[in-house]
Amino acid sequence: MKEYNIVITGVGGQGVLTAANILGWAALHAGHKVRMGEVHGMSQRFGSVVSYVRFGEEVYGSMVPEGKGDVILAFEPVEALRYINYLKEGGMVVVNTKPIVPVQVSMGKARYPELEEIRKIVEEDFKAKWIGFNAEELAIKAGHVVTTNTVLIGALTQIPEFPLDAEHVREVIRLSVPPKAVEMNMKAFDLGVQAAKEILGL
Amino acid sequence: MAKVTDMVLWDKPGEKVLLLGNQAIARGALEANIAVYAAYPGTPSSELTDTMAVVAKRAGVYMEYSTNEKVAFETALAAAWSGLRAMTAMKHVGLNVAADTFMSAVGMGVEGGFVIMVADDPSMWSSQNEQDTRVYAKFANVPVLEPISPHEAKEMTKYAFELSEKFKHFVILRTTTRTSHARGDVVLGELPEEIKHAKRKFGNFKKDPSRFVDVPANARKFHPVILEKIEKIREELNNCPFNWIEGKEDAKVGIIAPGLSYAYVKEALHWLGVEDVKILKLGTPFPVPYGLLEKFFDGLEKVLIVEELEPVVEEQVKTWAYDKGITIPIHGKDLVPRVYEMTTRRAVEAITKFLGIDTPVNYEELDAKYQKVLDMVPPRPPSLCPACPHRNSFYAIKKATRGKGIYPSDIGCYTLGLLPPLNAVDTTVAMGGSIGIAHGLEIAQHGSLSEEQRKNEKKVVVATIGDSTFYHTGLPALANAIYNRSNILVVVLDNLVTAMTGDQPNPSTGQTPHGEGKRIPIEDVAKAMGADFVAVVDPYDIKATHETIKKALEVEGVSVVVARQVCALYRIGQMRKRGEKWPIYYVDEEKCTGCRACINAYGCPAIYWDEEKKQARVEPTMCWGCGGCAQVCPFGAFKPVEGGEE
Repeated sequence: MKEYNIVITGVGGQGVLTAANILGWAALHAGHKVRMGEVHGMSQRFGSVVSYVRFGEEVYGSMVPEGKGDVILAFEPVEALRYINYLKEGGMVVVNTKPIVPVQVSMGKARYPELEEIRKIVEEDFKAKWIGFNAEELAIKAGHVVTTNTVLIGALTQIPEFPLDAEHVREVIRLSVPPKAVEMNMKAFDLGVQAAKEILGL
Repeated sequence: MAKVTDMVLWDKPGEKVLLLGNQAIARGALEANIAVYAAYPGTPSSELTDTMAVVAKRAGVYMEYSTNEKVAFETALAAAWSGLRAMTAMKHVGLNVAADTFMSAVGMGVEGGFVIMVADDPSMWSSQNEQDTRVYAKFANVPVLEPISPHEAKEMTKYAFELSEKFKHFVILRTTTRTSHARGDVVLGELPEEIKHAKRKFGNFKKDPSRFVDVPANARKFHPVILEKIEKIREELNNCPFNWIEGKEDAKVGIIAPGLSYAYVKEALHWLGVEDVKILKLGTPFPVPYGLLEKFFDGLEKVLIVEELEPVVEEQVKTWAYDKGITIPIHGKDLVPRVYEMTTRRAVEAITKFLGIDTPVNYEELDAKYQKVLDMVPPRPPSLCPACPHRNSFYAIKKATRGKGIYPSDIGCYTLGLLPPLNAVDTTVAMGGSIGIAHGLEIAQHGSLSEEQRKNEKKVVVATIGDSTFYHTGLPALANAIYNRSNILVVVLDNLVTAMTGDQPNPSTGQTPHGEGKRIPIEDVAKAMGADFVAVVDPYDIKATHETIKKALEVEGVSVVVARQVCALYRIGQMRKRGEKWPIYYVDEEKCTGCRACINAYGCPAIYWDEEKKQARVEPTMCWGCGGCAQVCPFGAFKPVEGGEE
């Protein structure tokens, strides 16, 4: 495989780095050359964050080039939109539809767009496929809100042409979470898989 | 899955692991049999130091978190003088702090290999400027290596020690955010026996005042020696394994790609399908080896240098070409921006202009579409965490000064006090800068204060500085303010860790990675220096903090208030590990009047506005239970949920 580019976006503290790490290891174990890019330090403090996971023969840099992302995995709806320039035409957006309202919106100094507005831009202007669902709700159903990233990864493994095997990714998660959190994460993963299958009509 | 810090110590040569660039450098240092490591944390260099902190004892390496980069530099340098392999690491601006020693000691050279890891931050993801360390390298005549991947970073670290030892000279290993914070596959190499068996290595300092005492008579001998060394190193780098020529041998066009730019150039050429080109991959942007240039330029009709930030390579290449009488066009900063970080897009744009071909993406169209998105996406800057004690300190400072003070601040998480609604940071410059700036502002404003300000309080300048920053460079500034009878309030935001860079320990708690440090309480330092008012408060008690600050403002002279409460992010992390619960707050709908005091004056990210009910709400997944909201709400609307949560 030449290259596969995943852009993971969200709010600092949501587990974006953890999700990136799991996908990176899964790709490495599947025998791919891997490059990942992340930003630490000040940007991590409840601000908008982005991580890149790339694998394949032709990846060198750690950042996905603009217009070359195969998929955006978004932990939050406006964070999907903020990095939409990285997506290629016809790419996928897998998104947790539960918003986190920024402080400036609460202060009345900025507006949070409607979910449908966001979806319309993604689908019409950027010709992307939208796979949106409330991953946080499923995570809570699985046992704890911290498994939101596992739900989203589960959903990601179901999108067309995703090059990593779902069972393989699930196994990497099983091996990387603390023993007492395994069951809840496996449940979260499966709920994510199921949600994506329903949306994709699989 | 194995812990990363365990993998860094794995005795499994040939094993492929996924490491962060900084972790790969730590592994490289271990493979190179490092003996002494000292550093002050700074993004994007910190994970190198943190990794060393965890593995040092198990590898027989002496490691310390130093109080600043200059001290760290001197600690490692003296070890290298004693014949040991030693390393220090810092962010780019850290080298400014260490520069006095760096520039003066370079002529003395070293005995053991001495590697200075400096992590630059183009585009300033977590920094105050985007200075290019390669310029420092040229300034000091020190060779600089720059890797393209985590694996190369590991290999380069080993080479850097060898190069340093061979020429008895300093070597800089320069990364950027995109290498330090890139993860990639790394193939582990052999670990030396001493590292495997945790055998501590000791050196032997051989006295030589003519070399190690830089009185003018000795120092005058240094400069010619440095120049001679750097030219010999330039010659050596023709055979450096990180410099090579690739691509089509008889191509008419060539691209020079220093450091990480090589990665972007390769991707751009692949994306564009351009193969008829020769590439010079340069792992040593200074000094550029002339022998390789000679070979590379052979047969070329034009050259493009794709270089991030300053034209360090470009200037060397153009000077060399001029002296050689080479007149073919050499492009660089005319096609490649001098500001912000390199990207594949930037490489694509430069190369397509250079070759006169089309870009694979219509960027004009993309930018136009994306502008529409930017116009509607609400900003989400980083913010102080929920339960952050700094928020309470800022809130109390603003209240005690009625928002009419001048608020110089410093480098750390608390710089985020700049943002609305707190607006409690008026200046931030550099580490430890708050107190000096506060003193200067006080001198300049004194007598030009409004009647009201003079009547209401004696002091109007309130500096805020973190615990780690206080020890880093705040100490001499506080001594100066007290000595010169300044009239300021210094609030030390003591959250008992170096939080912004990842919870490193510092003298405020006396903790070290190995447990044997000594605690230096900030209030004791302030008293010993002669501050006119010293008090310690818990910022989780907003009323007490407010009253103490008010009292401190009334005292003539230098007041120091230590606002001490452990970093919330650190505390929550520890509590999660121990499986402990904390109270979660909620809004009593009967009591909330929708006045927005919590949102417009306090600004905890866990509190949001419910547009439908016109009331404040707490996002339970983000509440870390400090109860600050309950203290600032005039109507008692915030209450803890019974039983708590985790």
